[in-house]
Amino acid sequence: MLSIKNLHVSIEDKAILKGLNLEIAAGEVHAVMGPNGSGKSTLSHVLAGREGYEITDGEVLFNGEDLLSLEPEQRARLGIFLGMQYPVELPGVNNMTFMRESLNAVRRGRGEAELDAVAFMKRVREKAKLVELDDRLLKRSVNAGFSGGEKKRNEILQMAMLEPQLAILDETDSGLDIDALRVISGGVNALRSPDRSIILITHYQRLLDYIQPDFVHVLVDGRIVRSGDKQLALELEKKGYGWIEEEAAA
Amino acid sequence: MSSQQQTVDELIRSDYEHGFVTAIESDTVPPGLNESVIRTISAKKNEPEWMLTLRLQAYQHWLTMEHPDWAHVQHPPIDFQAVSYYSAPKRKEDGPQSLDEVDPQLLDAYNKLGIPLEEQKALAGVAVDAVFDSVSVATTFRKNLADVGVIFCSMSEAVQEYPELVQKYLGTVVPYKDNFFACLNAAVFTDGTFVYIPEGVRCPMELSTYFRINEANTGQFERTLIIAEAGSHVSYLEGCTAPMRDENQLHAAVVELIVMDDAKIKYSTVQNWYPGDAEGRGGIYNFVTKRGDCRGARSHISWTQVETGSAITWKYPSCILRGDDSVGEFYSVAVTRGMQQADTGTKMIHLGRNTRSTIVSKGISAGRGQNTYRGLVRMTPRAENARNHSQCDSLLIGDRCGAHTFPYIEVRNPTAKVEHEATTSKIGDDQLFYCRQRGLSEEDAVSMIVNGFCKEVFNELPMEFAVEAQKLLNLTLEGAVG
Amino acid sequence: MSTTVEAQRAWFEQAIDQAQGDLPGQDLEWLQQTRAHARRAIGTLPVPNRKSEEWRYTAIEGLLKNSFQTPAGEADAARVLEAGGWLEPDYPAYRVMIVNGRCIADASQTAGLPEGATVGSLRTALATDPELLGTWFGQAAAHTDHLFTALNTALINDGIFLHLEPGVVLDRPVEVVYLSLGQEQAPLTQPRNLVVLENGASATLVERFIGPGDALYFHNGVTELALRDGAVLKHYRVQDESRNAYHLSSLYLTQDRNSLYQGTTLAFGGAWARTDYQAVFKEEGARCELGGLYTVGDRQLTDFHLDVRHNVPDCSSREQFKGILYGKGRGVFDGRILVEKQAQHSDAHLSNDNLLLTENGEIDTKPQLEIYADDVKCSHGTTVGQIDPQQMFYLRSRGIDADAARRMLCLGFAGEVIDAIEVPELREYASQRLVATLNQSIQAAE
Ligand SMILES: Nc1ncnc2c1ncn2[C@@H]1O[C@H](COP(=O)(O)OP(=O)(O)OP(=O)(O)O)[C@@H](O)[C@H]1O
Ligand SMILES: [Mg+2]
Repeated sequence: MLSIKNLHVSIEDKAILKGLNLEIAAGEVHAVMGPNGSGKSTLSHVLAGREGYEITDGEVLFNGEDLLSLEPEQRARLGIFLGMQYPVELPGVNNMTFMRESLNAVRRGRGEAELDAVAFMKRVREKAKLVELDDRLLKRSVNAGFSGGEKKRNEILQMAMLEPQLAILDETDSGLDIDALRVISGGVNALRSPDRSIILITHYQRLLDYIQPDFVHVLVDGRIVRSGDKQLALELEKKGYGWIEEEAAA
Repeated sequence: MSSQQQTVDELIRSDYEHGFVTAIESDTVPPGLNESVIRTISAKKNEPEWMLTLRLQAYQHWLTMEHPDWAHVQHPPIDFQAVSYYSAPKRKEDGPQSLDEVDPQLLDAYNKLGIPLEEQKALAGVAVDAVFDSVSVATTFRKNLADVGVIFCSMSEAVQEYPELVQKYLGTVVPYKDNFFACLNAAVFTDGTFVYIPEGVRCPMELSTYFRINEANTGQFERTLIIAEAGSHVSYLEGCTAPMRDENQLHAAVVELIVMDDAKIKYSTVQNWYPGDAEGRGGIYNFVTKRGDCRGARSHISWTQVETGSAITWKYPSCILRGDDSVGEFYSVAVTRGMQQADTGTKMIHLGRNTRSTIVSKGISAGRGQNTYRGLVRMTPRAENARNHSQCDSLLIGDRCGAHTFPYIEVRNPTAKVEHEATTSKIGDDQLFYCRQRGLSEEDAVSMIVNGFCKEVFNELPMEFAVEAQKLLNLTLEGAVG
Repeated sequence: MSTTVEAQRAWFEQAIDQAQGDLPGQDLEWLQQTRAHARRAIGTLPVPNRKSEEWRYTAIEGLLKNSFQTPAGEADAARVLEAGGWLEPDYPAYRVMIVNGRCIADASQTAGLPEGATVGSLRTALATDPELLGTWFGQAAAHTDHLFTALNTALINDGIFLHLEPGVVLDRPVEVVYLSLGQEQAPLTQPRNLVVLENGASATLVERFIGPGDALYFHNGVTELALRDGAVLKHYRVQDESRNAYHLSSLYLTQDRNSLYQGTTLAFGGAWARTDYQAVFKEEGARCELGGLYTVGDRQLTDFHLDVRHNVPDCSSREQFKGILYGKGRGVFDGRILVEKQAQHSDAHLSNDNLLLTENGEIDTKPQLEIYADDVKCSHGTTVGQIDPQQMFYLRSRGIDADAARRMLCLGFAGEVIDAIEVPELREYASQRLVATLNQSIQAAE
């Protein structure tokens, strides 16, 4: 489904990603771990098409299509969803209105009919229940004044609404209490299906207890230096990144 | 990058909806301003002597005044002799007694603007006074209003029918010496709306005036006076449009509000005068003096304005917070694009104890538009425990426009508290990205973010107007990438 | 109306005519020309009144009612030193003493300056370094559109000249003390200063403005500051003029690439005191930080005018000014940030906060943003109010008496500005000076 080959990315002439390779097939869950500043969020932004990054080499194919030449909304309509590490606040923009506009834009993109108000409301309520998001948050402005955990729940709610093909979740588990972690993992697991893939960016093994990944990758200094199964995450939890960095440097 | 530029370019265009001209025969006084023109206007309106005296007094004073130059706007000097000061659609001798007698062409013009004057078609709960060029052509629902004692009529009729009320209040909030344009208005005003809400009455419907300039080379000088007696309550709306013409046209209105104990006036404006074309040809010069006097204790004035039209806007709806515990509010959205210039804001003059004021101003500049917030908050020595909070935000769309913030804050009471904040920025890249990541087009994302930016102000508008304002804003921003 | 304007203009003309005797550098053509331009401007510039936007809240009638005279010659160094006490606080520094507008070499101390550093009298430099002066002089100062700068320029005589060659870093602050001594004829003292830091040079400059007791005088100083590539100037100014003094400082700052200017002004004294700051970014990457604290008591007017001009991309500025008003006086703040069309990525934030401690004080504040570029982050915030009663209550509930609590909260309020001063002795002095003022205000309130 997603194929990243030799991806080089820099920001203002500073190289961040330095030849990254990653293959993800339909139905797989890949966890990406790595030290702060190694380039995990950069990878997620580049996949979603955020401006400000220079692709100096490499390619990214999504279902065989060149992803990097597409606008962000085109990628979203193809089914790419990015749950952000720091979800953006949109003052004055009603959360519900926003989700409806978003959902209908994506549905139009998929050639599906728009949902009418009633069907939409029904769906929101249902999904909001799934992520245990307080109804009142639906009526407020998007993320504005939300607590850290509320923002993350709101991201997962949007994911559940949009039913993406590829969900990239950038530290969706950071800043969550234990209950929230369970809820959000529930949301993600509910979405798992043979034709849907997930990239989980996380620092904590804890999340992987709830969402069992098929693969674990370690990103260090802009490259994936080691890949393995969920055992690798356990090992990292115990030993930290030092040994891998040393090995990679050697 | 390139698509962003495109959005910006598209934003600068997009057409004016209300640019049609109504072909109707008019009774128009030839251009020029002198005593005899003023006498003519007064005679046409069959005014009492005191009214004429007031006009002539104002005119004499106006001759000694100079055109103000402090506003952050630029325009060629206005030739006041080239303006016609009176234009009225021709009609039967005594004016229409009922809507059936109103020229169908006029009704049609208002229908086209989405303001049906036939009561059965009208928006539920909104009474309309329709001002066409210099005169009021129709006022709806007068009967229903009269039943509860509310007077809602044109200023001309008020002068005839309620002279004692007009004489008592006219010019007491905005005296003719106040400023250049107010003085000119006092000399030549032709019509406008008069509202009187008796003690304890909650006006059962929204009152509104719809201003339309039609004739070429005419100025519109209307005068509005609203009096809310103790414990009364009224919500008043005004809207305005004009045809597209290459010349600039002058609109110099005066609005006076008087609010007694425990009364409230909510005054909302959606201003959509013709803004001129992309090169800055034509458009209305909108030089308006609006002021409310909170005379009574616990009185309340709330101004809300959405300013999208006019080549130049120059207006500062203000509150004199005289009564103890009185409240003044100003909520504004001003959009300038093309070559539009706006210099707008408010004055909050705190005289009474525990007076409160709130200012929320949202400026949006696109194209080569210049948008200025100018405001004054004054806390006088008697204004114990007075409070003001001001928030002025500006959004820039494109790199050829300007956004300016000039607040004046004068405090002479230690127990008063003033807080003012202002920000200027473009639409956040991260916000745009977030919306687009969720599948919205860039155009929709911009419009959604801008609407969000204005939300606080739209929330203050009565329902029907909020919808109209939002449509207007979207129309103004229309044409982005798609 | 016009007769008063004429009379006011005559005041300026007379001030100039009377001081013609003793002007240095008569043989320097550029200098004579600059003086002549200024002189001509005096005849044509409008005299500020309430309708002039820049002088809306700051009347000059009181100033013009007095007649001031430029003192002839240098003051007697012995007398100056004898009067003593001027050097508080004491700390290691290069010192220049300026009395009634003239440098007093005998009371100054600049020995041990590193090579490439010039710190001394402008009058001397006009004789020794005329070419260097010629290239910088009058480049930034608005002597043809600011009447008082024109007055200063028409009579350029003395002041300090500080010049650092590329890369020179001063090991100690330079402290300049401006002392105005009352005389039979109230003096007009007009120091004219030029500060140039060449590429990569760095210095700390302290200026103190003082005058004894209730001496009447008018200090009308003009300072031009030029920071070239990567230069760093920390500039602390303490205005402690006499109770009756009129004080106007006009500063004109220009900044080249990646330079850093940090200026803090503390305004305590004077009957009528105004500081005009103009800062212009000439090249990218520069940063300007302006801070100020003013206290306003009975019969005082203190005014700050800032004009920060972002003319080029990628510069940032911070303006933070705080005022404490405790008597029947007036505080005026006018801060303008201009961002020109080409100045993308400008980042500017201005704040002005005021505490009103007693009745009868007045604060007029006018923060302004004038912005013609879109990719910018600009904001301002202004507050006016009294001490938060909840904070007062909190402190009192912990056993602190009301006066002490008020003092503590005022110090906390002013702290941010004072803390920016990196010379410890001066910072300490400033806190003490503020405490003394607050004590005075508490007494006044009783
Ligand atoms: N806009 C930017 N300008 C300059 N450097 C940037 C920018 N964005 C990211 N970087 C740098 O790129 C590197 C990678 O950042 P990124 O956010 O991808 O790291 P990360 O792996 O997600 O880290 P964390 O675990 O802390 O979230 C960091 O060194 C960061 O400072
Ligand atoms: Mg990250």
